[in-house]
Amino acid sequence: MSDLPALLVVVPLLGSVTVMLAGLARSKTGWPIAVGTCLVQTVVGVALTVRAFGDQPIRYVVGGFTAPFGIELVIDGLSATMAVLVAVVALGVLGYARVAGPRSNPFYATYLLLVAGLSGMSITGDVFNMYVFLEITGLAAYALVASGDSGRSARAALKYLLVGTIGASLFLLGIGFAYVATGTLNMTDLSAQLAEVGYASPLVQASFGLLVVGLFVKIAVFPVHTWQPSAYSGAPDSVSALISALVSTIAAYALIRIIFTVFTVEFLLTNAFAQNVLVAGAIVSIVLGSVIAVAQQEIKRMLAYSSVSQFGLVVGAIAIANETALTGAVIHLVGHAIMKGGLFLTSGLVANATGARAVDDYRGLAERFPTGAVTFGVLALAMVGVPPAIGFVGKWYIALGAVEAGSWPLAVVILGSTLLTLAYFTRIIERMFFREPVADTASGATTNGAPLVTDGEGTDAEPPLVSAGMQATVLLAAVLAVVLGVAAFEYGQVLEPTIERLLS
Amino acid sequence: MTEVDSLRPLVAVLLSAAAIVPILLSGDRPNLREAWTLLVAVTGLGVVASMVPGVLKGTVYVTDLGTFVPGVEFALRADPLGILFALLASLLWLVTSFYSIGYMRGLSEHSQTRYFAAFAGSISAAVGVAFASNLLVLFVFYELLTVATYPLVAHDETDEARAAGRKYLAYTFGGGVAVLAGAILVFWTTGTTAFTPGGIAALASADPEVARAAFGLLVAGFGVKAALMPLHSWLPDAMVAPTPVSGLLHAVAVVKSGVFGIARVVLDVYGPDLTAGLGVGIALAAVATFTLVVASVIALRQDNLKRRLAFSTVSQLSYIVLGLAVLGPWSLVGGLLHIPAHAFMKLTLFFCAGAIHVETHTDDISNMAGIGRRMPLTMVAFGVASLGMAGIPLVAGFVSKYFLLIGTISAGDVVFTAALLVSGILNIAYFWPVVYTAFFESPGAADEKPVVENPLGGWVGELDVASTGTQTSTRVPIEGTSAPADIERDDHGYAPTHEGQGAVDESEAAAHIDREHGDDTSPAWEHRRWNGEESTWFMLGPILFAMAGSIVLGIVPDSAVFLQIVRLIVENVTGVAV
Repeated sequence: MSDLPALLVVVPLLGSVTVMLAGLARSKTGWPIAVGTCLVQTVVGVALTVRAFGDQPIRYVVGGFTAPFGIELVIDGLSATMAVLVAVVALGVLGYARVAGPRSNPFYATYLLLVAGLSGMSITGDVFNMYVFLEITGLAAYALVASGDSGRSARAALKYLLVGTIGASLFLLGIGFAYVATGTLNMTDLSAQLAEVGYASPLVQASFGLLVVGLFVKIAVFPVHTWQPSAYSGAPDSVSALISALVSTIAAYALIRIIFTVFTVEFLLTNAFAQNVLVAGAIVSIVLGSVIAVAQQEIKRMLAYSSVSQFGLVVGAIAIANETALTGAVIHLVGHAIMKGGLFLTSGLVANATGARAVDDYRGLAERFPTGAVTFGVLALAMVGVPPAIGFVGKWYIALGAVEAGSWPLAVVILGSTLLTLAYFTRIIERMFFREPVADTASGATTNGAPLVTDGEGTDAEPPLVSAGMQATVLLAAVLAVVLGVAAFEYGQVLEPTIERLLS
Repeated sequence: MTEVDSLRPLVAVLLSAAAIVPILLSGDRPNLREAWTLLVAVTGLGVVASMVPGVLKGTVYVTDLGTFVPGVEFALRADPLGILFALLASLLWLVTSFYSIGYMRGLSEHSQTRYFAAFAGSISAAVGVAFASNLLVLFVFYELLTVATYPLVAHDETDEARAAGRKYLAYTFGGGVAVLAGAILVFWTTGTTAFTPGGIAALASADPEVARAAFGLLVAGFGVKAALMPLHSWLPDAMVAPTPVSGLLHAVAVVKSGVFGIARVVLDVYGPDLTAGLGVGIALAAVATFTLVVASVIALRQDNLKRRLAFSTVSQLSYIVLGLAVLGPWSLVGGLLHIPAHAFMKLTLFFCAGAIHVETHTDDISNMAGIGRRMPLTMVAFGVASLGMAGIPLVAGFVSKYFLLIGTISAGDVVFTAALLVSGILNIAYFWPVVYTAFFESPGAADEKPVVENPLGGWVGELDVASTGTQTSTRVPIEGTSAPADIERDDHGYAPTHEGQGAVDESEAAAHIDREHGDDTSPAWEHRRWNGEESTWFMLGPILFAMAGSIVLGIVPDSAVFLQIVRLIVENVTGVAV
């Protein structure tokens, strides 16, 4: 029982190695092992969650080296949430990836490596350890993006690699500065020692700046988002869904951790400039992300820019730094992961079923492929923030937080973001339900869609393009997006002690 | 007032939403599908009506579903104001369902399953708006109403319909954002958004600037659906939808959800005293007055019947808003009573316009000369409802307008009284020509219509003889109305290129015209008798029912339940029995 926290990292790591080794003996063993691993991961995560929401976080000392010197794993409500989110989303995407692929064992090995990295980032209580997991996450993500078989994937992965590495390096530099200032790497210890050094010290300020900018790159805040649209659109559909749902989310979690656990609210209060940078990043991301999304022709690129905009909301909530807004940030992180992951999976499903990948190809989709159209519609409306879906609850908390804090420009932008989000999703909803499919694009689509109907003629041994698992996954995401909205309040209550501790 | 825990409000909301599933599943069996709609409409009406006696005795039925977000309960309350709107919406939904069947089948419309499903969803959301217990729950259903009605606006799948749909979403979601912002401000200042008759007490002690800002946001947000100028422009465009939609949603459920929202804000969030104290009531009244006069003037110049009705709706909705904004007990009664009164009358008018469209494909008033021969019952109903709109006694419009006039005078605001009277005259000016042309003109011999046909403000410079020559009683068919065969669409008599231009063009309507009968060789509409052979009873029945409703409300308002509910609401809020 007491070793459970370590299992969160160890299980996927072992799974990853097992998949790799099993692949040497037999191919096509990757999927079942990965599913088993993710199931165990989910169980461990849930078991920890039950205990994590108490007054005190679960602390676990790795290898018996006590806190300020050794590495510590700290699991509070927030980390537990993220760990469970990672496990559940990874499991869900696996349900989709079984047929949709990529299906090689190395893919699943990397996949589990990514899960290990993300889980590690969620639960670690040590900044350098967080950097290590950040790099594991990054490297696994680069490799996954490159696992598509087109040149475009490779190029997108290269771009991701270059920009992502810069981000990670800035993060590392920030840790270095903090270490120089204090001589410790443990988050709790660091927090106390930084306060002693003084928040006005240039060393501390530089450390904060480097850490935040490094994480901005990883979150894809405008204008350092440039890797993200090409990575999301260049990667295979399963990978787009996984990384769009998790990688930026966990980076945003890391930002919360760094700002509130390590630097604390007092730092933000002492350095108004730091808060202003966060607010500016949020506003620019929300507005420009949406505006650019409206201009996109490719569905996946549009969804990618939508992420830029949505993470603007989260960064905004972090900048507001009060209890309501932070609760909203966490709810929106979870909600966005479900909704955006679901949207990417749906777009992949639609592409498999009809060949439609551009906004204009979605014309008349409601008749050609109703499951896809309805799911996409529900998830899009949830993202717009139509109550009672989860997208609304997050926005309510964040907007209320902004008003409570009296940061009016941010409040206006957050509320206005509903309309901005609507702007890019309306284009698609209207095309799906209220336009006839165009003849020339439809011809390409029907040839692609043909195996769907006359499946199993044995001509080319083509696998069925739309499996029950794929459909079930996206439907589940749509249902979750609505149901979680109803449950969000209970969750907000449970999270309260955790948030209070973050802000104290 | 006693509160009773009851599932009935929840059932009333969920019933029609639950109907969506069987409606979608029985899409290929139209009779079964419509049976579901009718079944749920009857049951829903029964559930709502079963609460009316209790509500009149002072009982409030409450379904509490627990906390929604901190400090805000997700609860449904059937209080008098809520039951007024819910009863109206569910009663008229039942009527409209019959009409929809006649209309959609009469035109062999596409996507009827989606239509009926979206209709059920809209009513569910409208009843939710009615029973919402606080601003946030109201906002939830207000947004859901937008989502549910969007497929109905864009139903035609033409460029116009899609453009109207886009505009509709942009306007109403914009309004939704304003409502949300206002609700957040109210919540932030008072810690609650729950509706309290007479207003939330804590709001009175709040910073007046914040309170005014919140009022402005809330009213602007609800004002979008209430079509307050300058936020009204989505409504005429949304007339591109099938006529039952224009009738029930864009004259009753959707637009009145906006008015209803304003009523909640004025009566149950701010309360009449605070609204007057902040000086926002008079501002709202000014906007409403402007809207009701200007929209009437614009309606004068609309030749398309549905567009004319749309601007009439814009104008009439502002009667209600004006009544609410003037804040005196009499004007409150007038404004609130105008909600059902206008609903019955305008529904009659829209149903008539739809019946004319289905039967003869005539949509422009200038082509309706003599149409009373073809559709006698329909046009009589139209005439009765028009009289009511203008405020002639014995029809519903008189009663509510009477209260409004008394209310504005007793509040000392003579300007508003004058505006109401002017608008009444304008009502006659834009409705009477329709009745006149239908019964007292014939396609060959119709008077000129200078207001509609000539440019606004009259001719400038020299008269162009050639162009005035064409402006005679016989309209020249608009180019392209010979309906190219490849354009397969039906636009419900709205778009500029709509297929039927009435008696004088080459389209279907011509089939109804007798060119020769006896000695008289002038063209005339074929004669149909007064026994309903002009159309199907699926359409005539609802038309006559809605007409009868407006007469009942006009002759015996006190025994019609709506006025009793309205009196109760006003008494609860102001403490004055009217």
